[in-house]
Formats: sequence, structure tokens, C-alpha cells
Amino acid sequence: MHGKDVVLDGVSMRFGDFTAVQPTDLTIEAGEFFSILGPSGCGKTTILRIISGFLDPTAGDVRIGGDTMTGIRPNARPTALIFQNLALFPLMSVWENVAFGLEARGIAKGARRERAEELLAMVALDGQGEKKPTELSGGQRQRVAIARALAVEPSVLLLDEPLSALDLKLRQHMRAELKELQRKTGVTFIYITHDQGEALTMSDRVAVMNRGVIEQVASSDDIYSQPATPFVASFVGEQNVFRGRLTAVNGEVAEVETAHGILRGRPRSGVAAGDEVMVFVRPERVGLSRNGGEASRDNRLTATIERRDLEGPFVNLHCRAGETPVMIHLPNSGESGPDLSGDAELGFQITDAVVMPAGDLARD
Amino acid sequence: MSLSEANTRGGVSPQTARRSPVDWSGAILNGYLVLFFAYMFLPLLFMVVAAFNANPTPSVTDWQGFSLRWFTELPQDERFLQGLVHSLAIAVGVIVIAIPLGLAGALVLTRLQSRGTTVLYTVLVSPILTPGIVLGATTMIFWRDAFGVQAGLLTATIAQAGFIASYCMLMFMARLQRQDRVLEEAALDLGASSVFVFRRITLPFLMPTVLTASVISFLQSIENYNTTFFAIGSSWTLVTEIGARMRFGLSPVVNVIGVIFVAITIVAATAWVLSRRRAGPATG
Repeated sequence: MHGKDVVLDGVSMRFGDFTAVQPTDLTIEAGEFFSILGPSGCGKTTILRIISGFLDPTAGDVRIGGDTMTGIRPNARPTALIFQNLALFPLMSVWENVAFGLEARGIAKGARRERAEELLAMVALDGQGEKKPTELSGGQRQRVAIARALAVEPSVLLLDEPLSALDLKLRQHMRAELKELQRKTGVTFIYITHDQGEALTMSDRVAVMNRGVIEQVASSDDIYSQPATPFVASFVGEQNVFRGRLTAVNGEVAEVETAHGILRGRPRSGVAAGDEVMVFVRPERVGLSRNGGEASRDNRLTATIERRDLEGPFVNLHCRAGETPVMIHLPNSGESGPDLSGDAELGFQITDAVVMPAGDLARD
Repeated sequence: MSLSEANTRGGVSPQTARRSPVDWSGAILNGYLVLFFAYMFLPLLFMVVAAFNANPTPSVTDWQGFSLRWFTELPQDERFLQGLVHSLAIAVGVIVIAIPLGLAGALVLTRLQSRGTTVLYTVLVSPILTPGIVLGATTMIFWRDAFGVQAGLLTATIAQAGFIASYCMLMFMARLQRQDRVLEEAALDLGASSVFVFRRITLPFLMPTVLTASVISFLQSIENYNTTFFAIGSSWTLVTEIGARMRFGLSPVVNVIGVIFVAITIVAATAWVLSRRRAGPATG
């Protein structure tokens, strides 16, 4: 098995008046673990179905390993799709499921059986071949679906939210397994999800998608720390947002007039004085001048602490500065929490604040 | 739920207060059931009893002594036996024609996304609504005039299959509407051709319906009278022969046929229930 690269060249998809996917150029490298992350209805599944061949794009071209896929049906593409509900064949045994693609290629039963057992062993299901899919647990069925897809030796494996039916523990376990499997096989994985945890932990690169547009393609780290748009910033992880008007840009510092006075941050390219902008700060980057701590003096806010939620490794403080909710994540130091009464001084550094043109935010 | 239970229990037990000494709804239901079963089974009981009466006119009231005479006469009746053979041959032929036609129609109607499907559905279901006489007579005339085929077992088979295929189609449609189409997509994605997908995924899913539709077709064919009568010409089936005899007065031999059919039905139904029960706990 070896991965192939996938290129979308001006691909767009329209259903009647509705544009599910705006014209998109995207290159996914051979052997890459690539995720498309976005809320439901953003067009990510449409892209997946276009790559697998179940949908013909309205415009544009899909190329896999340099070959155009226009006019090539799903059963002739070097892709395999793992469906959201897995779509295991209920009337067939586990090994027949795994060997289905080989049976369709006319491979003799003995060889099919042997190959199926090898694949089942690879996904730690040795000896389960005679069972029916319904006799397996959710995680085992998941692995059958993966083995069945890998049996046809695809160059590109497409995964449509395959973990969404599993419970939390299993989901986290399967993340590691999928990543390991991808590394072992070298197949290009294209993983569709609305779960940022899945996308960030497994992927080499992540594309964040909203309303049919891929807003950013970057490594997990960059998606989190260098979001390109307000949507990416607010969809991935948690953010505090302050709206305001940009008054001046002095080199690496943008000054924004907000309801809380002047706030300063790093400007994204494309902002100019006079623009409506948003200042984004991660909750873990906001400090609190209390209990001996001292918040940064770069930006200062006065806020009321309304609630304290213990999340385990950190404490989540819900504050309110005027009309604006502000969240602070403090490491759980083992001491009892801060005094919740009265006003508190919050602060954050210029380098931790990002100033972007105002735009769509992700809805919670 | 526990809340509403607590409420009714907490009240001054309105149930006991409301309950009248005679449970009228229960009595009416039981009475209705007795009437219903009497309506269903009394005629059968009379028919069975008359088969054992020595009286040459089937009767229960005019009892002339217990006799098995009519049971011994049946095997000597060539026309009845030949009619039975014809009935079975036609029924098998009907299954062979109606199952593929019904399945094809159901596939087109459930898969084709077109405005024409409504019209097509009406056309394909219409044989069920057409009077049997019309189906039988038109089939007979059409095959005679268009192909020079004389009325007989073939035309009777075709005429019956004409409307029985519609029943099969409706049954296949009901099954296909419950199918998870993603399974076919998954098979296609794994490299299967459309034919292979149909043979390996769709058809196995439809097999239970193929079986039940075959049984229904068989029963529909065996018991059919009007369509068969008008399409079969000078030949005959068991049912048309019984019908023909009625004109010259009844014979208890007909009752004997009835008794045999009832017996076969009871044995088959019991066997089916028992086999179900044995396989039951595993399959649920």
C-alpha cells in the first residue's frame, strides 16, 4: 500500500440555488493525515463524496496521483470510504465483509479468506472472522470497517466522522489507533469531522471549513495559535472576543478602541485604521491580579467573577466585563479558588491578543 | 410515568369507585370474539361434517350415517386429479413469471427519481383493481388473435401472473423502502460492479420477500376462479372444475377436497409455528 496525493482544482458544488462548496483549490500530500474540520452543513461531507465519486462536482477537477477522476465511477477510483454508520453488510460474516472488495475483483475464496484473516489480525480481531457484525462491539465493528476498506489497498482512505457513534473513552482510544494505522500503511487519510479534538490530535494538517469555504489550511499547532479568520479562531478552542474599532497600527501593535478602553494586540495582515475589528484572546492567556498573582499590564480590564467551574487540570472562571463575557482558564494549583466577590483586575499581553477584521464567529 | 402513577394512587382510588359490578367492555369484547370465530369457522365445520355424511347431497341436518365413501370416490375422479395437476402447474408458472416482473417494477419505482413514476405506479398496480373477468377474457383474446395461441394453461398462467405480479411488486416495494441504500454505496465503493452489488447485497436482502411473495402468489393462483375461468378455454383447474360441477348440483366429493385443504393448511401452519418457535429465541 502507498498513498497518493489528492488535488482539488477549482472544485465547486451546487444543489439548485444552494452552493454547498464554493470554488476550492486544495492539495493533500501523498501519505498525509489530513482532516477537514467544520460544523455540520459546512460542505465537508460533500467534498468527501466528490473525492470518492458519489457526487460529480458542478465545476472543477479532482486528481488523485496526478490522474483526473472526471468520469471515473466510485468502484474504479483508488479510494475507499469509511461511512459514518460504517455500512457493514449485516448478512455477511466479518471475514466476508473484509473480503468483499476482493470477491468483487474475482479473487479465489481461499486467497480471500487468507487476506481477510491477515487484515483482521492487523486490527486486532484475529479469530473473529466467523461472527456476524452485530455480534461485535462498537469499537470492533469500527475496526472491521477499517479492515474492509484497507483490503482493496486504496491509495486514499476517506473517513466520514467514523468515530461519532462511539463513546468518549473508545473514541479517544481509536484516535491513537487510526493515527498508528495511517503511519503503518502510508495511505493518505482524509478525515472528516466536526470534533476539533479528533482533528487536532491526529492530523498532519487541518482544513477548517465554514459555509462551503475552506478558511484555513495549516498544521494543528498553527490552526490553534495562528488562526487566519474570526471563524477559525472561535471554532477551534475557546476564545474571548472584544469588538471594537482599529485606531492605529504601530508596527507589530494594533490599538483598538473598545467598550473597555484601548486594547492592544498583534494585527493580522489586512487590517487598517478605521476598520471594525475583533480582538481574540485565549482563556488560558488571560491573567488575574489576585491571590498573589499579577496580570499583565499590557491590557487591563475590570470584571466581575460570576462563576468558578473546576475542570480538573484547570479552573474555568466565568467573568463579565461590562456586557462582554470573559473566560479565564487558570491552572489548578490545588489551592482553593479566588474570592468570587467583587471586581477583579484582568490582564493579557499584546503578543497573546490577535486583531482581525470583524467576521463570522462560530456558534456555540 | 412514576409521577402520574403517584398521582392516581394518591387520589381516593377513583378506579374502584368507577368500576361497575359487571365488566361490560370485557363482556362485549368476548361476545364479539365468539361471533367472529363462529363466522369464520362454523361454515368450515359444516363442510367437514357433511363430507362424512352418507347423504349424496351435502348436508349436516339430514344425517344418513357416517361414511368415508366420498373419500374413496375422490381418487377415482380423473377430472379432479387432472385439475389439481393443472392448478399446481399454473401456480409454479405464475411464481416464475410474477416474482421477476414484480421485483423489476418495484426496483424501477423505488429507484427512479422521475415524475413519471406516479403514472407508472398507477399503471403497474391497476391489474389488481381490474375485474378478473376482464383480465382473463382480454388475455385469452389477445394471445389468440395476436399470436394464434389457443386458450389453455399457458393463457391462464399469463392472465393470473398479470395481477399477481402487482401484489409481488407491492411487497418488494415495502421491503426496498426499508433498505439501507448506504450498503449499496459501500459495496460500489469497494469496487463492485452494479450487477455484483445486486447479486451480493440487494438480492440477499430481498430473499425473505421472495419467499413470502412466492407463497402468496401460489395461494392466489391456486384459489383463483374468475380470471382462470375466462382464460383457460376448454382446459380446467381444480377450482374451475368445482365451479363447473356446482351447476349440476353439489357432491360431497367437493367437501372432501375442502377437508383435505383445511387439513393441509392446519398441518403446514402448525409446522411453521413450531419451526419458528425452535429458531425463535436466537433470532428474536
